[in-house]
Amino acid sequence: MGAFLVRRLIWLPILLFFISLITFALGLYGPGDPVQVMMGLHANPETIERLRHEYGFDQPFYVQYLRYIGNALQGNFGYSLVKYRDQPVGKLIADALPATIQLNLLAIGLGVLIGVPLGLLAGLNRDSWLDLLVRAFVIAGISFPIIFLNPVLTFIFSRRHDLILPAANLAVSVGPILPMVQGRWEGLLSAKIILPALIESTGVIAIMTRQMRAGIIEVMNEDFIRTARAKGLRERLVIFRHALRNALIPIATILGLMLGGLVAGSFLVENWFGVPGVGALTFDALSSRDYYVVMAMVLLIAVAYVVSNLIVDLTYGYLDPRIRKQ
Amino acid sequence: MSSSGNSNRWLIGIVAVLLVALCGALCIAGAGLYFLMQPGTIGSTPVSSGTTPGGIPTVTAPRAPAAGKNTLRLPGRGSGDPPTLDPALAGDADSAVYVVEIFSGLVTLDKNLKVIPDVAERWEVSGDGKTFTFFLRKEAKFHDGRPVTAQDFKYSIERVTNPALASHTAETYLGDIVGVKEKLTRKAQAVSGVEVVDDYTVKITIDAPKAYFLAKLTFPTAFIVDKNNVERGGRTWTDKPNGTGPFKLKEYARSQRLILTRNENFYREPKPQVDEVQFILGGGSAMTMYENGDLESVYVTISDIERVSDPKSPLNKEMTVSAELSTDFIVFNTRKPPFDDPKVRQAFALAIDRAKVVEVVYRKMSNVAPGILPPGMPGFVEGQAKVAYDPAKAKQLLAESKYAGKMPDITWTTVGAGGSAAQSIQAMTAMIKENLGITVSIQQTDWATFIGQLNDPNRNPFQIFDIAWIADYADPQNFIDILFRTGSTQNWAAYSNPDVDKLLDQAAVEKDTAQRFKLYQQIEQKILEDYPVVPFTVSNQYWLTKSYVKGMVYPPLIIPRLQYISLEK
Amino acid sequence: MTQTRSPAGIDLPHRARSPQRRVVGRLLRNPPALIGLGVVAAMILCAIFAPQLAPYAYDAQDLSIARQAPSPAHWFGTDDLGRDMLSRIIWGARSAVFVIVMVMIVNLGLGVPLGAAAGYFGGWVETVVMRAADILFAFPGLLFVFFIAATIKPAILTWAREAGWRDLANSGYLDYAVVIIALGVIGWAGLARMVRAQVLAVKEREYVIGAQAIGVPTWKIIARHILPNALAPVIVALSMGLGDIALSEGYLSFLGIGLQPPAPSWGNILSDNAGRYWRMFPQMIWMVWIPGLILAAVVFAFNFLGDGLNEALNPELVD
Repeated sequence: MGAFLVRRLIWLPILLFFISLITFALGLYGPGDPVQVMMGLHANPETIERLRHEYGFDQPFYVQYLRYIGNALQGNFGYSLVKYRDQPVGKLIADALPATIQLNLLAIGLGVLIGVPLGLLAGLNRDSWLDLLVRAFVIAGISFPIIFLNPVLTFIFSRRHDLILPAANLAVSVGPILPMVQGRWEGLLSAKIILPALIESTGVIAIMTRQMRAGIIEVMNEDFIRTARAKGLRERLVIFRHALRNALIPIATILGLMLGGLVAGSFLVENWFGVPGVGALTFDALSSRDYYVVMAMVLLIAVAYVVSNLIVDLTYGYLDPRIRKQ
Repeated sequence: MSSSGNSNRWLIGIVAVLLVALCGALCIAGAGLYFLMQPGTIGSTPVSSGTTPGGIPTVTAPRAPAAGKNTLRLPGRGSGDPPTLDPALAGDADSAVYVVEIFSGLVTLDKNLKVIPDVAERWEVSGDGKTFTFFLRKEAKFHDGRPVTAQDFKYSIERVTNPALASHTAETYLGDIVGVKEKLTRKAQAVSGVEVVDDYTVKITIDAPKAYFLAKLTFPTAFIVDKNNVERGGRTWTDKPNGTGPFKLKEYARSQRLILTRNENFYREPKPQVDEVQFILGGGSAMTMYENGDLESVYVTISDIERVSDPKSPLNKEMTVSAELSTDFIVFNTRKPPFDDPKVRQAFALAIDRAKVVEVVYRKMSNVAPGILPPGMPGFVEGQAKVAYDPAKAKQLLAESKYAGKMPDITWTTVGAGGSAAQSIQAMTAMIKENLGITVSIQQTDWATFIGQLNDPNRNPFQIFDIAWIADYADPQNFIDILFRTGSTQNWAAYSNPDVDKLLDQAAVEKDTAQRFKLYQQIEQKILEDYPVVPFTVSNQYWLTKSYVKGMVYPPLIIPRLQYISLEK
Repeated sequence: MTQTRSPAGIDLPHRARSPQRRVVGRLLRNPPALIGLGVVAAMILCAIFAPQLAPYAYDAQDLSIARQAPSPAHWFGTDDLGRDMLSRIIWGARSAVFVIVMVMIVNLGLGVPLGAAAGYFGGWVETVVMRAADILFAFPGLLFVFFIAATIKPAILTWAREAGWRDLANSGYLDYAVVIIALGVIGWAGLARMVRAQVLAVKEREYVIGAQAIGVPTWKIIARHILPNALAPVIVALSMGLGDIALSEGYLSFLGIGLQPPAPSWGNILSDNAGRYWRMFPQMIWMVWIPGLILAAVVFAFNFLGDGLNEALNPELVD
């Protein structure tokens, strides 16, 4: 057990090293650079040269990389170069992270709340019309592109329909059904979060429903369920006392893995709804070649991913000694 | 899953509970962090505390301050957040629009884009046109009440030109001042061209008489900052800026809102009238907010233009059209085949029906550019550009060109994502294909890549591309000279005409304004005859503003404008 | 990372291949899978016969009939530039099928051999492959694609122009190549993990050990005995992943780094129109809804097909 943990922990810094190296190289050798973006159309070659020198971009790759890593190890992830000039990257991300985490948490919560009962329903009534309907619904959810869902759902839920469909006047003239995030992010406790979270949850719903359906079908075939039935327990009791518990376990595993994804924001959703989260921040940084912001985000996502995997693996490793040998 | 036994499953169950608990903990931590980071709420003090009309200090609710009666709510400019609020670093309109309200400089522009006194009460120009003496207002004060002195101005200029600050605007806007270039390249310790005569007098020397120098001083680069504020605040001093402008920064929540409050002690007329201005940053639909009464003014996008332009719509009465001092150009790289042949350039220009593109794709939200200069620019005259739509002549010109029958492949590079930017380009390439039989492929690229390649004029790889130039200051020199002089970095067409250069030299030193403008008109005509560019569109901006908003200004350049606005609810 | 789970919650038993006839039979008795099969077949037909099926050229522009509602002449209406939407969507099927097939080939070509090698050989091979997969997993996918598209493409373009390879620089092939490389490079890791897990499970079986004992070459053992038995989950995962590839292509185009206009791509059509017309979609229903629903229908079809295959290849669940 100890060896297993040590191996995994040694791997973490190596992984981070490779990921940071790749990101840094892509940023440095890719086209465009922050000084150019800063200057825009007012560039003149001498100023660009001068500013690149001031920022140290004219130094060799390894010098820049080592300097960055050195600073990062001391907790200094640099300053934004373009989009939020001179703001410390750590603060920018700390500012944006809560919104993304709240949005993702709600999306996962909705995914579990909607997906688990649906999967249960489908699995217990396997091959019935209900099963078919649930699966169709779930697949439909993940099939709509976000660039389509964003505008269409926004329109349906927030628009004053009377301007376009006079017939809808009565129904919706009270105003938007769901308020937009727009300028004032109020977090988990506000109705504004529902729509973006719903759109982000479509994927979670699909995973949860599928897993739950497969899980319940598998569990219902297990010996102990047959035994329980044979003992004459009522079906409802069999399901809730025995089957459900066991079918929920893989759901917990998936939830564990999803924790790693909490810190990664969806640019498309955040940007559309004006959620001040890390997805929008990362994308802006990427487009303006704001190296240090991108770098810190990539590292953060990688750490979160590795840690959540580690947690899940540890539980498995503890439970199933065979894995440790691999 | 089937491998583990029943008892193991319980262990996993416990782990699941732990994971859910971790979820919850993260959530609480996130929420806590979130509230801590909220300016003006728990954890940090507001920049300036709000007071109710009765004088009782208000407690800012953890949500967001409710809009008071005298509050103006506007959409944020451009893509959302201002990249910076530091005047020394603000080179873009998205930043400048806030900076000019919080800070101010010696001179500024009025609603008609005329240079007027600001912190300086008046100024004198020496006979040779190289020395400017500014006399500061004694009543000008920083937001914290400290009077503004000539030393503050001197400090501000020394700060901007400090090479370590890496201001990318210093050279462009202050480079004319004697000693600035030396300081930027670390050849001098101080800017010799800025001298403090006494507490309220400052003398600036420039390297040559330049008519547009005063206009450059209206830029944030030359604004006055407070030394204590800057030095105590460190790198993030603009979180609590102590400026001299008509408004103070009350709150800035990134990607959410930026709130300005009135500076009661503003030194100059007109004094700011609204108590508070809230800018709503971030994506989403500002139009919906406007229609719900959550914004006082909004910019109309192309998806609403038809509905809003309908005279029957109640919104139509709230609409204002404003011009912007910018021209969208189609640029031919005159170094790249086939555009090194003027006949090919002219053929392309004549094969494009600009009016049709404007009508169908832009839904008349833009106008066909009348020439290089946009309307509203001093020196602009109607009917300069004689670029007509004439497919027959275009065909003939192409046949006469040296590339007739052996046209190389052509790629049109355009900045864009989502394809919407390329709609007009698609329309124009289809016209070229129809009228000239030439297939032009389109290559979209992101802005950073685009300018990275464009800014290297010797290796600019693009054959034909489109680009918009927005005026920095209201002078034809800003278009005609900068964009078309041989060797200028912004001469993207790599255009070179000795006659034009000679005339540009002449215009630069001409002292009589009318004569100078006439020279520029003459040059513009000469340039257009060579077709290095096709002036494509000039954009109009459509605004909806609630009827109770009085004095709204829609300036074609960034100027301090909020002080003109009042609300009559 | 260890291999006790498989993506998308598909848990397949490791059993020898069922007779193909039974698999097909089970698939055909599954109505949703049949529908999925039908949609996919229709899409492939559209792709093959696009020139014959499309009433107009995809880039035939007529500004005088821009933004017209569906009519007998233009069944799906016309777009901003007066181009026939039906023709663009039919041609778009060709782009989509091409991208999907090529990305699938790249994914399979990288994922299956690497995963099989990792599972069979173990040791440093396994370490290298699985750690590389780890890096890909931990790296945000969209970021990676964006980086590849933003860095590689201009580099190739510049190089091609300077080398005088005008055809490469100026044709749409490069756009396809970038999309395919970008999506292919990030897609293999999941597949490799899955194949490795399957191979690990199969390689301890008697017939493999037997084959090793009688001296059958390694590559033969992998290709003949191990891979066929490990393929079922791969097929299922692939068929479900194909829809995602179609979506990803759409997002790339949305970001401006996918296929270049006027190339007909569903992602381009949708993102062009959704951004501009979402506020008036009841009047301009064909602009947003038709491309949106068609893209959704294709993803839907692939998912249903995947579900059906899952059931057909996994008869355990039936008993």
